[in-house]
Amino acid sequence: MKNIVNTLLLLVIFSVPSLAQEKGSVFIQNATLITITDGIIENGDVLIIDGVITGIGTNLSAPLGVNVVNGSGKYVMPGIIDAHSHLNTVSTNEARNPVTAEVTMEESINPNSVSIYRAIAGGVTSIHLMHGSANVIGGQGETLKLRYGVSQDEMRFRNAKRTIKFALGENPTRVHGQGNGIQPRTRMGVEQIIRGHFDEALDYKKKREAYIETKKVYERDRRGRIVPPVPVAKNLRYDVLNDIIDGEILVHCHSYRADEILMLMRVFNDYGIKNYTFQHANEAFKVAPEIAKNGAYTSVFADWWAYKFEVYYSTAYNATILNENGVTNSINSDSNELIRHLNHEAAKTVRYGETSEADALKMITINPAMQLGIDKMVGSLEVGKHGDIAIWSGHPLSIYSKVLQTYIDGKKYFDMLTNPADMRIAVDSNDSYTEAEFNTFIKGREEDACMSDVFELIQH
Amino acid sequence: MKNNKSFWGVASFFTMLMVWIEMPLLAQEVPAHAITNVMVHMADGNVIENTNIVWRNGIIEQVGVNESIPFDAFVIDGGDSLHVYPGLIDGMATWGSPDIPRDLPRLENPGKPPYDRAGAQPDRIPAHYLNEDKAFEDAMESGFTLVSLGLNGQMLPGHIQPFNLSAAKLTQAHAFSDPIALQGSFDTAPGGWGSGAYPSTQMGVMAYFRQLMYDASALQEHMMYFEKHSNMTQPEQNDVLEALFPLVNKEYPLFFEVDSKEEIERLFRLQDEFGFEIVLVSAKEASALIEELKARNIAVLASLDVTEMPDWLEKEIKDSKVNNEEISESGDDDSDNEDVERIELTEEELVFRSKQKKAWEEEINNVASLVKAGIPTGFTSDGLSPKEIQKKINLVTEHTSLTKSDLIKLMTVQNAYILGISNRVGTIKEGNSAHLILTDGPLFEKGTKIHIQVSQGVINNFMED
Repeated sequence: MKNIVNTLLLLVIFSVPSLAQEKGSVFIQNATLITITDGIIENGDVLIIDGVITGIGTNLSAPLGVNVVNGSGKYVMPGIIDAHSHLNTVSTNEARNPVTAEVTMEESINPNSVSIYRAIAGGVTSIHLMHGSANVIGGQGETLKLRYGVSQDEMRFRNAKRTIKFALGENPTRVHGQGNGIQPRTRMGVEQIIRGHFDEALDYKKKREAYIETKKVYERDRRGRIVPPVPVAKNLRYDVLNDIIDGEILVHCHSYRADEILMLMRVFNDYGIKNYTFQHANEAFKVAPEIAKNGAYTSVFADWWAYKFEVYYSTAYNATILNENGVTNSINSDSNELIRHLNHEAAKTVRYGETSEADALKMITINPAMQLGIDKMVGSLEVGKHGDIAIWSGHPLSIYSKVLQTYIDGKKYFDMLTNPADMRIAVDSNDSYTEAEFNTFIKGREEDACMSDVFELIQH
Repeated sequence: MKNNKSFWGVASFFTMLMVWIEMPLLAQEVPAHAITNVMVHMADGNVIENTNIVWRNGIIEQVGVNESIPFDAFVIDGGDSLHVYPGLIDGMATWGSPDIPRDLPRLENPGKPPYDRAGAQPDRIPAHYLNEDKAFEDAMESGFTLVSLGLNGQMLPGHIQPFNLSAAKLTQAHAFSDPIALQGSFDTAPGGWGSGAYPSTQMGVMAYFRQLMYDASALQEHMMYFEKHSNMTQPEQNDVLEALFPLVNKEYPLFFEVDSKEEIERLFRLQDEFGFEIVLVSAKEASALIEELKARNIAVLASLDVTEMPDWLEKEIKDSKVNNEEISESGDDDSDNEDVERIELTEEELVFRSKQKKAWEEEINNVASLVKAGIPTGFTSDGLSPKEIQKKINLVTEHTSLTKSDLIKLMTVQNAYILGISNRVGTIKEGNSAHLILTDGPLFEKGTKIHIQVSQGVINNFMED
């Protein structure tokens, strides 16, 4: 008997992590559906079965046993996707070398941060967890689903494209040039760091392939006449750089000035690199036709600038101008505060530049999805896509609207009415209540979040 | 003259041969030692009374009730009241290790540091770096007879090597065996902000570690080729990479100091890629990954460095005891005190408290959960001084299902198993190395004093003065 009890107990214990991975089913009835890719459906229903959207339309019905949510008077929108975030990093910048392509944010995920929950409460379901901007070629990014309460591995967005961070301009020149007296000290140096490393990587690839080839010949040679090759060690950094050149990794490049944006496009054209995104890109409006011509993307702030010299020439019309020029543009947060209301940031493009509401909402859903290579799976309400959605109390672009519920893979991760106030996962057994900082909300934008870990470094 | 020379040559050869042949015989002339009439605590927890233990040349010759004591034995009489335990083993400590150097010079190119400045020093062997350290003496007085020493460092500080704690000043001569493992952690390159280097983050350490492994396997391959083909380019001499060959070849375990669940999971990734054996050191959240540990057959050298009970919880327990006593005395269920305190707390703080209580209980139960789940679990002092260890033992045994005798097992037979030296230490039996402690009461109980500590046969008497 005791054994049976123990077994049952074990079952309960071990079903907890698998529960967290579980995909859910839900039927939302009679809501205003903002599909993003196929207009607005009034009095519409969304059916999600086992994590996948199986029905969108009117007068749908749900199989028995599926939880029904009354959506009347409410709006349903695909979950917001933030193409630039450092929401829950363990560390952000491996800032001791101008090129650190070998490091990956996949190994810098903190799954226990309450900031994840705060982002879901803003209707965000996926983020692009990025390396910082201290290095010309920083670490690889990791696209996450904000499944709050699961392990770091279970947070990863399966089958998302691999990504990497690049950074131009003041940050890498300040850290490495001024800080350590090494290249790059200027924008010219930044370009040469990129070209130099791509060339080294291509050279390595040739040598490594030649070694593997000769080794095969040597191993086949039974008479021992062939001299074996000098082994060329696998090189993690160069492997990643080659994957960029081969198009397996999408570049997201921190950039501000128009001249450096043009520079990178020239470099990438020389190496045949496509499908990249300029992050921040405050001066992108100056070169919007060129960006469109190259098929590059942009991911910008609505109206955040002047926090350092290279960000002074900025305009609140940036997103609108890019959009009008046919550039696929997204609005990102780069901030644990802004991420909680990216809908407002999108709304600003309507307010300032008279961008259409439909396009404004694309900038926080399908457009970032395209930039991350996940647009076949998320970013719009379409049958077959993941059940990553948010239910809003009113139109998402209204300042008065709130997120009521957020679902990821059809499983509810946020419910404004029923969730307890304190949703922290981890409380330290050492903290006093006042030190535990539950009530310390983020007071404002953390300026230049991309440079966390390195501010002290650059004092030198 | 010529003959003379050869005569002396032959003579000295025979003398040396005789000395060589006689050595073991001569050695047997060394007197035996015996502890008689004691209660011996065996590995399985059983206690055998009126027992005699005899050892000679550091090896236990007899353990038994009616064993006759050799005529030449130096005898310590336990007088029926003293206890003998196997000597305690510290699974890993960095006592005697040089400190991490301070004021490191600024590097010209922090992105390409020399190995030591990156934190990679797997070629270091503790025997070559032993400094004087008061901790050795303190540990001996606390009943430790053997310690597995690592070095202060970062990602790969060096080898791990067991030493007999038979003298307050340890030298290479006190080594119990050759190194048994490599030491590792996720610690970043030394030097701090001013003079630090790559890798400066955990993700950087992981990438750097991988690159070291790739470089080591390429060098090893090159050396193998060169052995057969001397007409090819000569491989470089590289002590750091060569020290990693056993890890590349999966011949050597990596003792990895790591605590959080997430960091242990990251270590699993490295293990999956390279396939070497891992022993977790410290591992304060290892119980969150019991199934994984089982599947991977990973042992844990657990730290007892647990947090004290939160003040509010201690007070709450104390108050409820007082209240209970008052209730039982007066028969009144009035518990005003508690109510007053409750009212002052916001709902938020109550939630905080329940979460903190859960967190603390998980923390303090870590070792107990590992033991219960059958994970091979040993003990590491992990920076705790012997005095602090006693305090933490009290804390853990007071609040978890672990008993003091469970903890003794961790520190003896379990540690010997994990260190791969259970054929020589960890239990008291014939043929084992004489690692013993003699106490006047049950070990770790209040008031119990350690009289004698025996490490590989060498007696240290703490009651003489």
